[in-house]
Amino acid sequence: MLGFTIEKRQEPLKWGSFFIFLVALVFSLGVSALLLAIQGKPPFEAMYLLWDGAFAHDWALEDTILKAIPIFLCSLGVAVCFRMQIWNIGAEGQYALGAVGATWVVLSMPEAPVWVIMPLMFVAAAAFGAIWAIIPALLREKMGLNEIISTLMLNYIGILFLEFLVYGAWKDPASFGFPMTIMFPDTAVIGELFGRIHWGILVCAGAGIALTIFLKHTRLGFEIMVSGENPRAARYARMPYSALVVLVMGVCGALAGWAGLIETSATLNRLQPTVVVGYGFTAIVVAWLARLRITSIAGYSILLAGLRVGVENLQLELQVPASFTGIMQGLILLSVLAGQFFNWYSFQRSKRG
Amino acid sequence: MAEYVNKRTNRGAFAGQTPFVRLQGISKHFGKVRANHEINLDIRPGMIKALLGENGAGKSTLMSILSGRFQQTSGDIYVDGNLTSFASPKDAIKAGIGMVYQHFMLVESMTVAQNVLLGQEKAFLVSPKEQEKEVAALAEQYGLPIDPAATVSSLSMGEKQRVEILKLLYRDSRVLILDEPTAVLTPTETEQLFEAMWRMADQGKSLVFISHKLKEVMAVADEVAILRKGEIVDEFKESDVPNETVLANRMVGRDVELSLDAQPVEPGATVLDVQGLDGDGLEEIMLSVRKGEIVAIAGVAGNGQKELVEVICGLRKPIKGDVSILGLEWHDFYPRPPRKGRSLAYIPEDRQGLATCKFVDLVDNFLLTTRHSFTTGPFLNRSKAVDTTVDIVEQFNVQPGHIDADARSLSGGNLQKLVIGREFYRQPDIIVAENPTQGLDISATEEVWQRLLEVRNRAGILLITSELNEALQLADRIAVMYRGRIIDQFPKSDTKKVDAIGLMMAGVTPE
Repeated sequence: MLGFTIEKRQEPLKWGSFFIFLVALVFSLGVSALLLAIQGKPPFEAMYLLWDGAFAHDWALEDTILKAIPIFLCSLGVAVCFRMQIWNIGAEGQYALGAVGATWVVLSMPEAPVWVIMPLMFVAAAAFGAIWAIIPALLREKMGLNEIISTLMLNYIGILFLEFLVYGAWKDPASFGFPMTIMFPDTAVIGELFGRIHWGILVCAGAGIALTIFLKHTRLGFEIMVSGENPRAARYARMPYSALVVLVMGVCGALAGWAGLIETSATLNRLQPTVVVGYGFTAIVVAWLARLRITSIAGYSILLAGLRVGVENLQLELQVPASFTGIMQGLILLSVLAGQFFNWYSFQRSKRG
Repeated sequence: MAEYVNKRTNRGAFAGQTPFVRLQGISKHFGKVRANHEINLDIRPGMIKALLGENGAGKSTLMSILSGRFQQTSGDIYVDGNLTSFASPKDAIKAGIGMVYQHFMLVESMTVAQNVLLGQEKAFLVSPKEQEKEVAALAEQYGLPIDPAATVSSLSMGEKQRVEILKLLYRDSRVLILDEPTAVLTPTETEQLFEAMWRMADQGKSLVFISHKLKEVMAVADEVAILRKGEIVDEFKESDVPNETVLANRMVGRDVELSLDAQPVEPGATVLDVQGLDGDGLEEIMLSVRKGEIVAIAGVAGNGQKELVEVICGLRKPIKGDVSILGLEWHDFYPRPPRKGRSLAYIPEDRQGLATCKFVDLVDNFLLTTRHSFTTGPFLNRSKAVDTTVDIVEQFNVQPGHIDADARSLSGGNLQKLVIGREFYRQPDIIVAENPTQGLDISATEEVWQRLLEVRNRAGILLITSELNEALQLADRIAVMYRGRIIDQFPKSDTKKVDAIGLMMAGVTPE
């Protein structure tokens, strides 16, 4: 083929793979710039604005990190499921249910002191998210229903359920008809830690560390790893495969639920439909890009959060539509995944034609 | 066991012709691993060449190069005396080289004729009658009796293999590579295969026969090449080899005991008792195993052994009848058998797919079934497991013993030794071993047999085997299984019945 053959590498690349990632990233940015140029926008200025709006200033970096927090939590959960080859694409719905659970606690006991209301919000958000994730897990294990379909469908049900509540029973009477709940009392708001960064970031750190320990050092983590590698071997070794499916889905639901809680409480201070902005779907992209490794998930969460913030800047300055974020996310995912081909294969000039 | 008589009639008719294929100085390296080194091999028309070698000796790599799946690192391939290179299996097929793999690649729901002609149809519209006639003629020519209109799913393993061979013959393959073709066959089918091989060779085809069974190599081959550590260490005419023992010695490079001296052990308590097990294709199975004895279930694969094993190992519920394991009823023993000690260990036939994880290192593979012994609270004590794995790897001679390498880097025999080491570590009271030496070379087979005999002192062993010799070497008692039934059970000392096992495996009950 054109004098080249494809050869499998004996060992995957190490530092070279970072270089491949950079090339893929630049490539996808190049295609994005080209798309903008076709629309008559100045491509170089656009790329500069993207960088400037996402990372170049303190406020930009703060915005990026604030968005990275829910993305990181959702991605952690999604990655745990993917490790077991359970294709949970329902983080978005689980996130919505988490927001609903936390809000329910706030609306039920607005007067409660912080040390009561805050823990209860976390418990409720985790429980609501987990239940939303465990439903498809049970449907899969008991009735053989494909989890991709059921988690996808439950996303829409979850989001509509949230809207049903804020348009109806939970609507703030003083909101002039806008679909939103009352402002949360200060006791139910996750406070700032430094700058505008709230202590939700500590939840991320805690969850990341706990999950790393869980997956690497516990027996259940080992069983999850084996079940993902070879489900037949897992059953042979008498691992409780179905229970593990429920467990990973539950963990994912709880983490996505916390993401919903944090976004509602810390960023919006109330529940309204705009809390659902697609973090759960971005999480799937992040999990894949990071190849399910927790440290990489942190990095990619910041990258893709930065993309969202940067595109907002483009929107303001160049009137680029917000959906451009989705296009760029897709481009990055495709080119990075395609680039990973070179971790294992190389082109060699063939010896004979 | 039947002695095979070589029935070649036309040997030597093609002597002196240019070899179909000549391999010259073929080397293949996978990173630092040298799978093949400077291999020279001539594949001549009208000759059956046997390729012998231990696991990991490089046979499969060499055949993959020959069939175009891998490209050699260095060296040349000549076809009909012309330098050629195979970029893909397509090129090899074009050059007339075809391979029959151990796992058949047939469309089960299609007929024999359709399978043979698949992808080779001469016109857009095809007449089934014409196809069948064509296939029947080909089958007749090479002595491969088969009904071209039969659906593949209804065929026996032997018949399916004939379809695979016919596929190659239809494509005018001149070199046929058969990878352990007798592993799935009954003794009668084996003999039929050999006759077809002789007939093909007599008509000028050349065959490459890969096998571990020395008796078969002696019977069927014209030339023998021995691979050891990626090199051809010996090559000679079949007539130059005096007997099996000499052949075995040349293959492993040292003397091997081909028959074991299994002294009986005083049997103890009954560990497994199956009474009237029925359903799932099983009929009225009565079977018991006591501590200290090896009970072999002999039979051709696919006669209900798999279902029986799955019931005993808790992967399938018994439909009717009583199964008691270590004195407990099936429903009391499963689904939560003891996690350590006083339990049942299962050594499955599918080492790569069921007993281990390919892409996981040896320590994690060791932990697969022993993980409960290395658990404190929720935590897995991996460093302790590392030490134990090192011990097991050493004790059971697993080569190469890099514990942080993936399981797929081990050859079949070494993987099996790891599995056995792991299962023995659990100190089970019953061991169910399913074709434990299938696909293993002589030295690994010998090691596995020794291990099973050793462990008999503290466990009862149920051995499922389709190798008659294995049953005879190891078992204290033999049960022959055919179509879901145990047609007879007898101690090994019953020589009259032992002589008739071959017939029983084919469903004939001698009176």
